[in-house]
Amino acid sequence: MGGLISGFDRKITARMQGRVGPPIWQPFFDVLKLIEKENLVVRRSQNFYIVFFLILVIFTGGLFFTGEDILLVIFALTLAGIFFVLGGYKTSSPYSFIGAQRELLQMMSYEPAVILSAVGMYMVTKSFYVADIFYFDKPLYLYLPGILASFVFILAIKFRKSPFDLSMSHHAHQELVKGITTEFSGKTLGLIEIAHWYENAFILGFIYLFFASNALLAVFATLGIYFFIIVVDNVFARAKWQMTLVTSWAVALVFGLGNIIVLHFFKR
Amino acid sequence: MSFLKKSPWIIHYDGSSCNGCDIEVLACLTPVYDVERLGIVNTGNPKHADIFLVTGSVNEQNKEVIQNIYNQMPSPKVVVAVGICACSGGIFAECYNVSGGIDKIIPVDVYVPGCAARPESIIDGVVKSLGILENKQKKLRSMQGGLEKMEILIAGISDSQEILALQKLAYQSEAEIYNDFSLHPLTQTLDEMKEDFKSNVFLKAVINDTIVGSVRAYMQADICHIKRLIVNPIYQNLGIGKKLMSEIEDHFNQAKRFEVFIGNKSKRNIYFYHKLGFKEFKCEKVSENRNRLYFQKIVEAKP
Repeated sequence: MGGLISGFDRKITARMQGRVGPPIWQPFFDVLKLIEKENLVVRRSQNFYIVFFLILVIFTGGLFFTGEDILLVIFALTLAGIFFVLGGYKTSSPYSFIGAQRELLQMMSYEPAVILSAVGMYMVTKSFYVADIFYFDKPLYLYLPGILASFVFILAIKFRKSPFDLSMSHHAHQELVKGITTEFSGKTLGLIEIAHWYENAFILGFIYLFFASNALLAVFATLGIYFFIIVVDNVFARAKWQMTLVTSWAVALVFGLGNIIVLHFFKR
Repeated sequence: MSFLKKSPWIIHYDGSSCNGCDIEVLACLTPVYDVERLGIVNTGNPKHADIFLVTGSVNEQNKEVIQNIYNQMPSPKVVVAVGICACSGGIFAECYNVSGGIDKIIPVDVYVPGCAARPESIIDGVVKSLGILENKQKKLRSMQGGLEKMEILIAGISDSQEILALQKLAYQSEAEIYNDFSLHPLTQTLDEMKEDFKSNVFLKAVINDTIVGSVRAYMQADICHIKRLIVNPIYQNLGIGKKLMSEIEDHFNQAKRFEVFIGNKSKRNIYFYHKLGFKEFKCEKVSENRNRLYFQKIVEAKP
């Protein structure tokens, strides 16, 4: 599922740039190829961290799609991210160091918005359980437009797209080679790729929650927002990390926290 | 079924090119040619790449860079020389600072001539290299599967060329340890090698008709001198070296003492010989940063 999403992403991006683009199945070909390749490592333990990264991301997805506690989901995702960063640090290459540091900064940037979304959802539905939020009969986005806005803002970070593709850009050759994944190759790189598919599917699921009261609308809104992110990816250049941090916190505080304050006073 | 053909990732390196070929390589990524439709991605990272595109000739400045990028790529990998400079040095071949085409340094699989090479021919070259990539992978697999079928035989003088090539490959890591690429195993010529065959007994480890390891030794007054145990880097740590050593010890079973020498910084080799029962007995200085350690194993008289 996640692989298909990223296949469509590459196709749409190519079409926007006036190219034919790779087949939809390209991400699967890439991963299967990576599994066939030799796995070069700096230290063997770097692969160990990546295995944990993948397991925790799958765990996150599992918790989310079985309707468990949303806070636990968020913390599991953060922990997964931390393992990824540790893997990056373990390789002791300057490029993956820069990537790992930027990854940490990115996590700091998006975490407030994610936590505020969970809090906002709780205030409306009185439950932290994904299942309860999912079956809540009123449309969440009407109560939480600010939170939705701040969440969409940080989506570019989570999808690793411009303007916030700081830690492992596909297009930053001279600047940071491949950032945090520089020293990973073969099978391990394939695992990272699969983990990102899971992450992407999970995030799209999170957006779906905002619109969950109406299934048809939810599907279209989720795809629409994803399309919007791809457009933004193609329009913007990469931002600096200072800007990433400041703007995402500002947006989370103004829209997210503002939304929660308004909710607090008007929804008793 | 191999997926290498469907998702070849490229790393592009500009040796000393005039930028003509580089522009044409990048033109392949533009909407007109769009190589991404074939799954080709231009990565900037050797560790993610399958195909190494080089433009421009080799000179003293970029020699090590090319070597380094090549060594960092995970196998199977292919090299495509783009443009006449990369193929042979082109009009710069006679320059005092140019050593020639890329094949002076690393093995090149596909040559794309032209000044500058047209994007169409570059894409053709890359597509051609995909076939080679797949063959390389097949060979690699059949060799990996053939570890049980490995045979250890006495090598003849007709093997000298293959063993020499293997020796140069296997001693790369040693040269890197001492940062000295003038070690004799790396500079030995074919004639010197054939000379060695007159005095030494050569053993070879063969998997699917390919020599993956070798060792040589000669007897001198009850002492067997073992030299140059080499194993192809992809087969190291699989016990081939150990088998070669035990075979050569069997071959010279009348020897009272076996002797080898290794570099003082080659920790893995020191560990290896310790494990086989060898003991250090002598140290000799060879150069500024390299000592030779002599190891011996005394054979107890059989009852």
